Amino acid sequence: MVYSSVQEWDKWMDGMPEELKSSYERFKRVSDVLTVEPEPKVGQTPKEVIWTKNKAKLYRYQTTLKKTNKVPILMIYALINKPYILDLTPGSSLIEYLTNEGHDVYLLDWGTPGFEDRHMKLDDYILDYMPRAVKKVLRASDAKEISLLGYCMGGTMTSIFAALHPELPIRNLIFMTSPFDFSDAGLYSNWLDKRYFNLDKLVDTVGLVPFEMIDFGNKLLSPISNTYGPYIGLMDRVDNEAFVENWKLMQKWLNDGIPFPGEAYRQWIGEFYQENKLLNDELMIRGRKVQLSVIQANVLNIAAKRDNIAAPKQVEPLNAAISSKNKTFHLMDTGHVSVVVGRKAVQETYPLIANWLTENSK
Amino acid sequence: MSQTKLFDPFTMWKDIYERTEATWGEVIQETLKKESFSEGMGQTLTNNLQYQELVTKMTEAYLKQVNMPTRGEIASVASLIVNLEGKVDDLEEKIEEDTLKNELGKEIGQLKKAVTHIDKKVEKVLEMLEELTTKPGPSAKEKQ
Repeated sequence: MVYSSVQEWDKWMDGMPEELKSSYERFKRVSDVLTVEPEPKVGQTPKEVIWTKNKAKLYRYQTTLKKTNKVPILMIYALINKPYILDLTPGSSLIEYLTNEGHDVYLLDWGTPGFEDRHMKLDDYILDYMPRAVKKVLRASDAKEISLLGYCMGGTMTSIFAALHPELPIRNLIFMTSPFDFSDAGLYSNWLDKRYFNLDKLVDTVGLVPFEMIDFGNKLLSPISNTYGPYIGLMDRVDNEAFVENWKLMQKWLNDGIPFPGEAYRQWIGEFYQENKLLNDELMIRGRKVQLSVIQANVLNIAAKRDNIAAPKQVEPLNAAISSKNKTFHLMDTGHVSVVVGRKAVQETYPLIANWLTENSK
Repeated sequence: MSQTKLFDPFTMWKDIYERTEATWGEVIQETLKKESFSEGMGQTLTNNLQYQELVTKMTEAYLKQVNMPTRGEIASVASLIVNLEGKVDDLEEKIEEDTLKNELGKEIGQLKKAVTHIDKKVEKVLEMLEELTTKPGPSAKEKQ
């Protein structure tokens, strides 16, 4: 019945002026994209789980492909959003690109925390999960050394991990839009001001910090363009199928967030955003002082010019804090997410990382 | 002759968005930077948390009254499983490390090497035997 009335409506529209007809077609297409069409597939690069712990999973990618690079790479993701942004879709996937180039790629996916994980601290992730994952990777690939790649907060965690584990054979470290200096975190510094932001009350009340709250903070950075912009863009370019596909992929990822374990959030906001302890050698992880100067591995530190989540001024100071002889700071003309997906990422970021890894793994 | 344009809600929406962004974008950004904004946002959050805390307490009290587990109680069961899994993982790690270190492993490795060595030698002997059997015997002339 509904179908027939839609058909009748369509028929009636055929007799209307061209301009009105095209406007109607556009409306129909937009509403189809938003309500009828299924969600796009993500994370399609073949993988197998080689280790699990609580909600975390360690994946190894394209195991059947020949690995020409002898140093495996382990990707460490943030505790915000899901890691499939690193393997969004064929042709726009850092993981697919690296594996096709002969790199042995692993990813540590933290999974979606449940209420029982509300007491998890950064200490637990850094000292209980990451060392185990590194050992598993070394065993699975039968390698003597390892490369680590941290994206966003995952990079910050990776730097702490590397500083606390000088005994592990970490040859290369890649940081992608990871904040290290929180002395000026833009608008976040204002909003998370100790005097107004009741961090302890928040964590004590909610236990797990809901994704919607973190998302609200990110959207508030540029409220009009972040809230309405995507829909205006869709409406404007709905005739372009490639654009629509990308739009759906990005919207899926942006709205597919995970909650943040309360205790880890307390540390992340309190000790990083409010007190900037990492860069000042004041951060303590399970009673151990974190000193970035301990890091001696080769470092590629990537920042994005248009990043308002981890601005270049928050990323760059790492290079001065570490002792590595081989360290590069690379500034990309992208945003926080477009550094890893999209045309620019495919053309610049992927080859940059693949070549740097190959060069530094010989 | 002027042409009358038909009403297009999408174009109107886009137009409103662009004008709003151009006119208000900067003003909003300035507002977001203000200390009073942070203060207001903090106050709103605290009020919401107080309300949420009240609702949680009331829900927990009700669940206890009707003999139903609370979210915290279910989570503590899950924690027991997580802890147990953690212990299994520790054991697995220990076994893996022990296996790697184990002298027996080394001996098996040496044994494997020796077997491979013998295997190669047998292979060689077989090849030589085959050569001998397939080689044509000396001709009658040679025999004389």
